[in-house]
Amino acid sequence: MIATHEDVSILLDRASQGDRQAFKNIVGLYQQKVFLLAYSILGHREDALDVVQETFMRLYQKLDAYEKDRNFQAWLLQIAKNLSIDYYRKHREKRREMESLRSVEELQLAADDHRSDPESPGLRHVISRNIERLGERQRLIFVMKHLNGLEYREIAQVLGISVGTVKSLHFKAVRNLRNWLSPELGMQP
Amino acid sequence: MNKCRGKKPDLLAYVGGEMSDRDREDIRRHIEACPACADEVRELERLLEGADSLGREMRQVLAGIDWDAQAEKVVSAVWDRGPRPLGKPRGVRPWLPALPFGPVLAGLLIGILVGAAAMFFVLRDGTLRKTPAEAFFASGEFLSRVDQEIARRETLDYLEKSQYVLLELAQTQTESGECRLSEAATLKTRELLSKKKYLNPQLEKARMAKAKAICDQIEILFYELAQISESLTPAQCRGIQNLIEERNILLKIKLLKKELQESEV
Repeated sequence: MIATHEDVSILLDRASQGDRQAFKNIVGLYQQKVFLLAYSILGHREDALDVVQETFMRLYQKLDAYEKDRNFQAWLLQIAKNLSIDYYRKHREKRREMESLRSVEELQLAADDHRSDPESPGLRHVISRNIERLGERQRLIFVMKHLNGLEYREIAQVLGISVGTVKSLHFKAVRNLRNWLSPELGMQP
Repeated sequence: MNKCRGKKPDLLAYVGGEMSDRDREDIRRHIEACPACADEVRELERLLEGADSLGREMRQVLAGIDWDAQAEKVVSAVWDRGPRPLGKPRGVRPWLPALPFGPVLAGLLIGILVGAAAMFFVLRDGTLRKTPAEAFFASGEFLSRVDQEIARRETLDYLEKSQYVLLELAQTQTESGECRLSEAATLKTRELLSKKKYLNPQLEKARMAKAKAICDQIEILFYELAQISESLTPAQCRGIQNLIEERNILLKIKLLKKELQESEV
């Protein structure tokens, strides 16, 4: 279901007056997009669901701060992005421990499995690990573009930067990934 | 190779399908002729396919979640947390309703308020009542006394210098009977004639009639001296000396000087 700007505006008005059903409709419209963004940053289902809940709690608190002429989706995803980054930083140590516990066999599987099929779990795993190595903005842009399927324009709105900057950072992210993956995937850097 | 360097971002756009048909055709032709770029395109395609497959995997995760239950859970958590803090109505600024250039008008309003407050304090302290002109105010009486004092000093100076020239003239006489004024005295005579022109209005303004009369007599003598050549014949010299003596000019100068020195304002 695609909601127009006017529909969302009406729902927000009603929610700000304490209409529970209107707020639930807003959650229903946007929770999957918020989840995808949080999941692409955190890479963990339960963590992403926590961020979804926290994002809508923050939205409810900030309903009065929203200005009607702004793009609501971009504003909401901006809240989600900030909360995800906070969550990621707070739990960085825990994530590192989890990473170190991953077995050598798992990595070997990735190295053996990918060459024949780009959609193999091994290649996905190698790409996923290398995305983690990207700088924060490059990582966000790469995951929003390829994992969330957002357009450059939408990414620019979420991050509050120009479309040109988004394109430039995306190019750098791809170049870095290609350089890092080339020895494992048999590419020429 | 240099020709290919500028095409690197284009290769990514080509793989991502984010270019016009015409640009796409250009790149396709370039790839056909350039094996290095063709390899790079294949590598990028594999990389982005792998990334997109991550996206598909994510969407599978998405499909495994009961979103209706999740929405209810979120709303319940929000409602359980308590009432929303009260704030201003959304998108409404009661103090600046729907005006264009809001920030400019707000700045202008603040400027007017600050200016008004500053004026209030200035007027209350009475700072503006003390005009700068009052600091330099002088009464008419004071100014006339200043004029009088200036005229007195100028006259004294004129008399002093005239006295020297006239004394020199009265005492100069060579053995041959010819009298000759020094070059300094001649110059001084001319200088005193010019000075007298500026002294006249001052004396009139200060109402110093007696001083003006004596200064006029000295001026007449200096005019005669200036008209006669520097080297005076004994007869001319004697004539001027007699004039000085007959009119008691040196005595008058002395008396007037004394009087002026005593009448310092």
